[in-house]
Amino acid sequence: MVPVQWYLLLATAVFCIGLFGILTRKNALLFLMSVELMLNAANINLVAFSAYWGNITGQTFSLFTMALAAAEVAVGIGIILVLYRNFDDVDVTLAKGMRW
Amino acid sequence: MTTKPKLRVGSHLLPGLAAVALFVVIAVAVLRASFGDPQGFPSDGSITASIGYAMFNLDMGAVPGEGFLVAFIVIAIALDAALDGSILLAKREEEGSAVALLADGGRQVHERLTDGTESDSDADDDGGDH
Amino acid sequence: MVGAFDYAPAIVLLPFLSFLVALAGGKYLPKGGAFGGIAATAGSLVLSAWVFLTVSAGNAYNETLYTWVAGAGEETTRLTFGLLLDPLAAMMLLIVSLVALLVHVFSLGYMNDEGETGLPRYYAGLGLFTASMLGFVVADNLLMAFMFFELVGLCSYLLIGFWFRDSGPPSAAKKAFLVTRFGDYFFLVGVVAVFATFGTAKFAGEGAFPVIAEEALAGSAAEVTTFGFAPETWFTILGLLILGGVIGKSAQFPLHTWLPDAMEGPTPVSALIHAATMVAAGVYLVARMYGFYALSPTALGIIALVGGFTALFAATMGVVKREIKQVLAYSTISQYGYMMLGLGAGGYVAASFHLLTHAFFKALLFLGAGAVIIAMHHDEDMWNMGGLKERMPVTYYTFLSGSLALAGIVPFAGFWSKDEVLYEALVHGLGGSPLLLAGYAMGLVAVFFTGFYTFRMVFLTFHGEPRTEVARDPHGVRWNVKGPLVVLGILAATIGFVNMVPVQDLTGIHLEFLHDWLAHGELSALTAEHYGELLHDYAHYTSADVASYVAGAVSLALALAGAGLAHVLYNVPEPTEHTAKLGAVKDLWYNNYYQDEYQIWIATSVVLPLSRLADKFDQGVVDGVVNGVSSVSLFAGSRIRRIQTGVVSNYAALLTLGLTALLVVFGVLGGWFV
Repeated sequence: MVPVQWYLLLATAVFCIGLFGILTRKNALLFLMSVELMLNAANINLVAFSAYWGNITGQTFSLFTMALAAAEVAVGIGIILVLYRNFDDVDVTLAKGMRW
Repeated sequence: MTTKPKLRVGSHLLPGLAAVALFVVIAVAVLRASFGDPQGFPSDGSITASIGYAMFNLDMGAVPGEGFLVAFIVIAIALDAALDGSILLAKREEEGSAVALLADGGRQVHERLTDGTESDSDADDDGGDH
Repeated sequence: MVGAFDYAPAIVLLPFLSFLVALAGGKYLPKGGAFGGIAATAGSLVLSAWVFLTVSAGNAYNETLYTWVAGAGEETTRLTFGLLLDPLAAMMLLIVSLVALLVHVFSLGYMNDEGETGLPRYYAGLGLFTASMLGFVVADNLLMAFMFFELVGLCSYLLIGFWFRDSGPPSAAKKAFLVTRFGDYFFLVGVVAVFATFGTAKFAGEGAFPVIAEEALAGSAAEVTTFGFAPETWFTILGLLILGGVIGKSAQFPLHTWLPDAMEGPTPVSALIHAATMVAAGVYLVARMYGFYALSPTALGIIALVGGFTALFAATMGVVKREIKQVLAYSTISQYGYMMLGLGAGGYVAASFHLLTHAFFKALLFLGAGAVIIAMHHDEDMWNMGGLKERMPVTYYTFLSGSLALAGIVPFAGFWSKDEVLYEALVHGLGGSPLLLAGYAMGLVAVFFTGFYTFRMVFLTFHGEPRTEVARDPHGVRWNVKGPLVVLGILAATIGFVNMVPVQDLTGIHLEFLHDWLAHGELSALTAEHYGELLHDYAHYTSADVASYVAGAVSLALALAGAGLAHVLYNVPEPTEHTAKLGAVKDLWYNNYYQDEYQIWIATSVVLPLSRLADKFDQGVVDGVVNGVSSVSLFAGSRIRRIQTGVVSNYAALLTLGLTALLVVFGVLGGWFV
């Protein structure tokens, strides 16, 4: 079987790609996609350790994570719509009223 | 007219270095860690069936696991609440009555953006410095 | 078997209950809650009498009833409430509850019949006052005594300032409160010091602090912390600290200035304050822990000198006063000076005796003065009175009884007790403590002044021709005024018979009952017998052989001389002021030796600049540090908040960097990268 390190490395890579997207992009829709990547990185970890321990808890939990991701996207889209309505754009850097 | 996607290189990629750094740190940590051999699943039982049983706290699966009925219900409610919330957020109110979502492909906004400069200045006002 | 001691807590609780009742429901009760107070003090009196009888059967009671701070471990200090009922406490209980009862009854005439308002407040104050004093009397440790001591002070504040709408009473109340509080600071430090030294503050029983102190001086075991001083020196310091509270409460020089001003309060309250409660508390405290003071000749000497000086000092001021209550106020200071002299001179019994007789005749005099004041429509100036003898005979004869007692004319109560105080000072002074002779001399001179001002007061008030219209047709008084006067008048005339030492010496008949009462008891460390041994062993007091009737005759002669002078000068139909003959001395006395002025001078010229300095320090250094800290925070905040840009990407970048940094730190510390 594939050692668990490689799964972890893959998950890290996926997570950091998502993070990279969040750090460098301004488009809110791209934010959502990046967050999906990060969540799926977590899923990879869950599944990898599920196989590592021979226990289905991790796999079951990754299903829940997907459901949560769906909920997050639903809310995220709603927020993006509001953002768009207020700024006529989906650029996250425009909404910066909440600061010092 | 279609345009070819193009990699835009510039200083806006600078924050991405933080993500790269995080990757390096985690990768080093992961690679230097030692794990035992994975146990793997028993070959005779069905994993999918076991997951199904675990979801409803039924102790009939071939693979060991825990009951997730409560988590299942909670997630169901959370998903429902998220959907309601997103509808609430997306709903537009004008003069007290709900108005249907804007579904003209952004044409109306596009016209506003191209015709007048008013909305531009609005955007600037809202997000501007103080 | 349920005995008197099981009911003893009720002695204190009954008046407290009446305080609560008067406070909560006085408005709805007849007479503003007076009957509740009368019933409660009567109950206390009955129980006190029962306790008195039980104690005279040879019993004593010394129990801790309630521990309110237990402390951790075995050898810790415990803070408790408890009862100590020995002959002294039993006697004092009787005095306090009897005087309190009579004052309550008298108040019906003085307050209710005069149509005063705010009576529930008045009766609540009286109830609490009585309860606190009774609690003080039965206290079994110094801290409990201190707490009730403070309560007594609070009550006096409330009652002196009863007529708070006038300008005088509130300021008099504040003065009384502040001056006594000044003394109480020393007392408080003393209480803490006693705890620190002995680990206990119990008055009596096993491991009581006077006992430990005695053992420490005798050199036998007993662990005491003396903070680097020799035990004798340290015990003297402790005694003097506690004496600070005594001097404040018992109005001894130099903290006596509050007491004449306290005359602003209602007259029954003055009677209560002077006879049985507030002022008596100080002297009682010294008597209570006499086993401790007896170990320190220095403290005793100071007590005696302060007492003797105060006796003379106050008596001279009483000579020139115009208001009847002012004369009585100075006489109180003077008489408590005698008690202090007696205590300092080793006359524990004599001082207790004077406390007993003084309580009755001073209560009588104040209540009598109250009756006169009712009759005079609240005019207190003696020069507006005169000739009241025919118009209010009951008041006159009872007042005369009290005056004879105060002046020390045989056979009235004051003679026996004052004489014994002076006798003790004389014999111990001649017996090798010459310091006491100075106290004796001052006390003796004060006897003359006492006789003079007392009869000046009597003659101006009751004799001669009426000098005003009001005095010609005085307001009548009712049974509720006359009743207490008669009771006290009889007591003032007769209470001295419990201890007629000169008569005993002269005739050989056994007459010193009070000596017997205080000399023995179940708690042997609290008896006059034991105190006598302590005085002899540690204070080196020895008695010279002087016949007591000789000393008595000397003081009686002086008292009669004073009274006679008053008779010559003032017992004429149309008396005139003779104070002008005194010249400069008159101004000095009339202005109370400028004591108030010099205390004000201290306040304005010494304390005020010091306070200003402290204020400068507070404003400059303390506030400066605080303000500096806040401005540094504000400045730093105004800079650092810039990282809160409001742009979500920046937050994400910061989060990422933070996580990375954290992981690196953990990794390096945890050896992940090795």
